[in-house]
Amino acid sequence: MNRAPRSIDEYLRQLREVLQGADPALIQDALYDAEEYLRAECASHPEKSEADVLELIASTYGAPEEVAAAYRDTEAKVNAALRPVIPRATESPNPLRRFFGVFSDSRAYLSLFYMLLTLVTGIIYFTVVVTGLSLSAGLAILIIGFPFFLAFIGIARVLALGEGRLLEAITGERMPRRPVHPGARPGFGPAGILTRVGEMLKDPRTWTTLAYLLLMLPVGIFYFVVAITGISIGVALIAGPFLVMAQHLGWDFNDGISVMQPAVLAAPLIAPFTIALGVLILTLLMHAARGIGRAQVVLARALLVKPGM
Amino acid sequence: MDESHARKFQKDLNAGLVALVLLGVLSRSAEDLYGYEIAKQLQKANEGEPLFKEGTVYPVLRALSANGLLTSRIVPSYSGPPRRYYRITAEGRAVLADWSGIWRQTRDFVDRFVEGGDE
Repeated sequence: MNRAPRSIDEYLRQLREVLQGADPALIQDALYDAEEYLRAECASHPEKSEADVLELIASTYGAPEEVAAAYRDTEAKVNAALRPVIPRATESPNPLRRFFGVFSDSRAYLSLFYMLLTLVTGIIYFTVVVTGLSLSAGLAILIIGFPFFLAFIGIARVLALGEGRLLEAITGERMPRRPVHPGARPGFGPAGILTRVGEMLKDPRTWTTLAYLLLMLPVGIFYFVVAITGISIGVALIAGPFLVMAQHLGWDFNDGISVMQPAVLAAPLIAPFTIALGVLILTLLMHAARGIGRAQVVLARALLVKPGM
Repeated sequence: MDESHARKFQKDLNAGLVALVLLGVLSRSAEDLYGYEIAKQLQKANEGEPLFKEGTVYPVLRALSANGLLTSRIVPSYSGPPRRYYRITAEGRAVLADWSGIWRQTRDFVDRFVEGGDE
């Protein structure tokens, strides 16, 4: 049992301590809610000092331990209700079923879609960050330079939150549901704009967020190329023999569809291997997509979610 | 010893009731409410020892929202972090009507044994 917290910062630190090991995004939400409550409580009792308000917190809002338990319980219940346990082919003991079970995993398709989408989002993120940074630098000598920079950081944070929500939708891994708030300094009431800006500039997360957004362009190009190459080679290998067969049966492809070397594909002994190779490539691609989805969550957690939480 | 029994019993009771009360509060309110306001309303309505800690309101609000019974929007605030305002959805109202029925039934049933029975 910790000693009773005497300030908002201390309360939040203790809450973070007792939540250690929980999902980082859950911690971020819990801290956010607690901060909303504690600051509102302090604001509605302007005659009392922060320490006096905090003294009563354990009997109104609850001690950090109780609040942490409430979040853990609720999260467990909600997850149990929203994600019923269904037997999945991906967990089958049969290795062959497990290998091909990826085709029945909706997450794999979503991840594949994400790989294609990252080219678009990557270009947008990259453009926003490069434009924002260079215009901020260029306008720095003018009076609008500073507000422009702040607006740009705000936009970057919204993009980061959106990326987190997108990743949660695709992989089911929990990501923050609210933006972080730099907060006020203890004892000074609502923070002045300059203090907040100072905090924001000192916060390493601000800069790692920009790094993530920049990084998404090369990463997005890579994902896109892997996805497109895998899909086209896989589908071509599967469809090739059938197209050649159709051509032999008198089907006319003169309207522009070109088929790979018929001499190889048309050989009846080779066709099954071509098809099998195509299926193998598609299956490996699905596995790769699922792995990339998970890896992307790890990367996003490291760069977008507040460190130390 | 006695007190910890009482607290455990209260906690078990609260497990489902907090959600019901929150739906009730939001269905009666003409405007959207944020967590702190809701917690304060509940505290004001109850005199004496609080039935549950205000901190437990927030995760339940979030859970109700995740299940589509509430919608929420974020509004910037001067005094601290932006506030999340909640509003009950049509599905939330349907669930509330359902749960209220269950609650009335349960309450009457329990009262028949606990309150010494009515005449």
